[in-house]
Amino acid sequence: MLPFIARRLFHLIPTFIGATMLAFLISQLVPGDFFATKALEPNVRPETIERLRAQYGLDQPIYVQYVRWVANIVQGDLGLSFSSNQPVTNLITRPIQNSMILVIVSIVMLWAMAIPLGVYSAVRQYSLGDQIVSTVSYFGLAIPNFFFAQVLILTIFVVRGFTREAFDYNQVLLPVAGMTSNGFEDMTRFQQFRDIAWHTIMPSFVVATAGIAGFTRVLRAQMIEYLGSDFIRTAKSKGLGARAITYKHALRPAIIPFVAGIGGLLPSLIGGAGLVEIVVSWPGITPRLLDAITRQDIYVVLGFLVISTLLLMVGNLVSDLLLAVVDPRIRYS
Amino acid sequence: MKAPPAVKAPKHEPHPDEHSKTQGRIVWEQFTKHRVAVVGGTVLILMYLIAGFAGFLAPYGMNEYRRSPVSAFVPPTTVHWIDPDTGRLTRPFVYDVTPDRDPVTRQRVYVEDTSKAYPIQFFVRRPSQPYKLFGLFESDLRLFGVEEPARLFVWGTNNLGKDVFSRVLYGGQVSLTIGILAVWVSLTLGLVLGSIAGFYGGLVDDFIMRLVEVFAAIPGLFLLIVLATLLKDPRNPLAQAFGLRMDSAQTFLMVVVVLGFVGWGGLARVIRGLILSLREMDYAQAAKALGASESRVMFRHLLPATASYVIVDLTLAIPGFILAETGLSFIGLGPSEVDTASWGILLRDATARGISIQFVPWLLIPGIPIFLAVLCWNLVGDGLRDAFDPKKRR
Repeated sequence: MLPFIARRLFHLIPTFIGATMLAFLISQLVPGDFFATKALEPNVRPETIERLRAQYGLDQPIYVQYVRWVANIVQGDLGLSFSSNQPVTNLITRPIQNSMILVIVSIVMLWAMAIPLGVYSAVRQYSLGDQIVSTVSYFGLAIPNFFFAQVLILTIFVVRGFTREAFDYNQVLLPVAGMTSNGFEDMTRFQQFRDIAWHTIMPSFVVATAGIAGFTRVLRAQMIEYLGSDFIRTAKSKGLGARAITYKHALRPAIIPFVAGIGGLLPSLIGGAGLVEIVVSWPGITPRLLDAITRQDIYVVLGFLVISTLLLMVGNLVSDLLLAVVDPRIRYS
Repeated sequence: MKAPPAVKAPKHEPHPDEHSKTQGRIVWEQFTKHRVAVVGGTVLILMYLIAGFAGFLAPYGMNEYRRSPVSAFVPPTTVHWIDPDTGRLTRPFVYDVTPDRDPVTRQRVYVEDTSKAYPIQFFVRRPSQPYKLFGLFESDLRLFGVEEPARLFVWGTNNLGKDVFSRVLYGGQVSLTIGILAVWVSLTLGLVLGSIAGFYGGLVDDFIMRLVEVFAAIPGLFLLIVLATLLKDPRNPLAQAFGLRMDSAQTFLMVVVVLGFVGWGGLARVIRGLILSLREMDYAQAAKALGASESRVMFRHLLPATASYVIVDLTLAIPGFILAETGLSFIGLGPSEVDTASWGILLRDATARGISIQFVPWLLIPGIPIFLAVLCWNLVGDGLRDAFDPKKRR
C-alpha cells in the first residue's frame, strides 16, 4: 500500500505544477496590475508605487515571479494580499472552512436521501414509487442550483406569511441568508453550533439535490445487477431473509463506487455549492473569490485556485485509497 | 436502391423489409419509440421556435421601458374576460395601472384604473420598436398588444420596468444557442486533441493527457469565474493583442469560447481511448496494410466509428453548458447585461439589493425555461443513448 501511495503522490507533482502554471498564466490576463489604479491617485508619489511594486516583486520578469510564488507555496506561504496587506493564507482559511461545512453536510444529506431511494427503486423496480423517484431525480438534475435556492427562499417566505395569517406565528421556518444569526459572538459554544446547523439546512439541501439524481440512478442500476447475480440466488436458497439479502449482500457491493467517489465528491461540490453560496450570502469560497477578482487582488485569487486544486487532487487520491480499502477485489501492490 | 434490370425479369416490387435499414434509420426508429425523449425533443423544438420568433411573439422590445409614470415591479397584468357593465363574456381586455403605496407596509402597489378598458389587439404594428427576425427581416409586427398608455405585462416587470415576458423570450435566443455553440468549441478541441493523442501515442499523447489532467485539476466553476472576469475587461492583454473592444457581440463569443475551453477535457479523454482501441482493430490494420494514408485511416475509418458516442455525449453536454451560462450570467459574468437578455441575467434581477422576493415572485419565472430546456436536452440525450445502444433495441 505505502509504495502505491508514494507513487501516486509522486504523480501528482507534475499535475500540480501544470495547474499552478495555468493559474499563473491566467493571472497574467489581469489588465495592468493592482498598483496601476493606485498610481492614478494624485497624492501617491511614483516612487511609492515603484517601491510597492518591488516589495511585491511585480518589477521582476514573469518567470521569476512564478518561481518565487511556487517556491513560497511549497513553504506554505501563498503571498500577500494587495488590498489588505495581509497574508493570503489568513484571508482564505475561513471561507474555505465555511464552504467545507456546507459541503460536508450536503454530502451527508445526499447519502441519507439517495441510498434509501436507490435501494427502494431497485427492489421495487418499475413500481409507481420507482417511477416517481426517477422522475423527481430527473427534475433535480435539471433545476439550476441557484434557481432552486431562490425558489426555496420564496417558499419559506410564503409559508411564513401563511402561518402569520393563520396561527399568528411570526417566525421564519428556516433562516434564508448567511451562516450565523445576529449576536453570534455572545452565544455559548453549543448555541453557536446549533445556530450554524440551523443555517446550513436549506443551502446544503439545495446542493445535495443536484447529486441525488445521478447517485440514485447508478445505485439502482448496480443494485439490480447484483440482485440478479448468482450469489444472491445462493443466499436466497440457503434461506436468508429478504432484508439481509438486500442490505448485506446486494447493497454492500453496490455502494462501493460511491464510497470511492467521496474523495471526488467533496471538491466537486465545493464548485457546485458556489452559486448557492451567493444566493444565500454564505461566507464561503465563491463570494470571496468573486470579490477578490473584481479587486484584482490576484494572489488571493491564485490562493483559492491553488488550495481548491490541491483539495481536488488529494480528494481523488483518497478515492483511490478508499476503493482499495472497501473493495477486497482491488489490491494495489 | 437500384432500378430493376431491363425488361426480362418480372417486375419486382421490393418489400419494405427486404432491404436492410441504414444505421441512421434504425437509430431514428428506436428514438421515436422512446416516448419521453420524443416529448422532450418536441418541447425543445418549440422552445427554439419561440426564441427564434421572439420579436414577433413578444409584445415589447428587449430593453423597452417607460420612465414615467413608474412601472418598476408591476405585477403580471390581470386580463379581464367579463364586461363589468353587462356581466357577459367579452373579448379580453386590460386596465391601465397607476402606482400607489400600501398604507400599512409602504410597499409600492399598482391600482387598476377601471375607467377605461383596453382590449387586447392582435397583429399590432409598433413602429417605435422595430426588430429583426433572425437578424435579417426588419419588421414591427407584434402578435399581440394593447393600446398605450395601458400595457400588458404577462409576467410583470423588473426593477427598471422592463417586461419580463418579452425578456424571457429574447433571453432564450442567448441561453439556448450559447450551449450549442460552446459544445462546438469543446467538440473541436476535444476531437482534435483526443484523436491526435490516441493516434500518435507516445510523447504527444503524454503531453495532451497531462494537459487534460491539469484542466481537470482546477475546479471548473472557479476557472470559469476567473477567465470570464478577466477576459470581459477590454484592457486585458489578449483583447489588446487582437484589438477587441469587448462589445456585446465579442463578450458573447468570449463566453462561448471560455465555456468550451473549460469543458473539452472529458471528451478528449474518451476520444483518445476510443481511437486507441479502434486503431488496433482488424479493419484499421487492414486499411493500413493496404497502404491507406494516415489521414485516410483517421478520417475514413477511425473517426466515423466514434460518431455515435460523440453525438450522445454532445447532446448530454449541451444542458451542462446551458446551466453554466445561466450560472455565469447570474453572477454577472455572462454576456453583457446592457443590451443582452439571458435567463441567467433575468434571474439576477431577483437578487438585486433591497429586493424581497416575496413581493416580486414573478421575477423567478425565467428559471422555469432554464429548467425545461435542461430537462428536455437530458431526455433527448438519454433517448439517443438508448437508440444507439444495440443492447437496448426494442
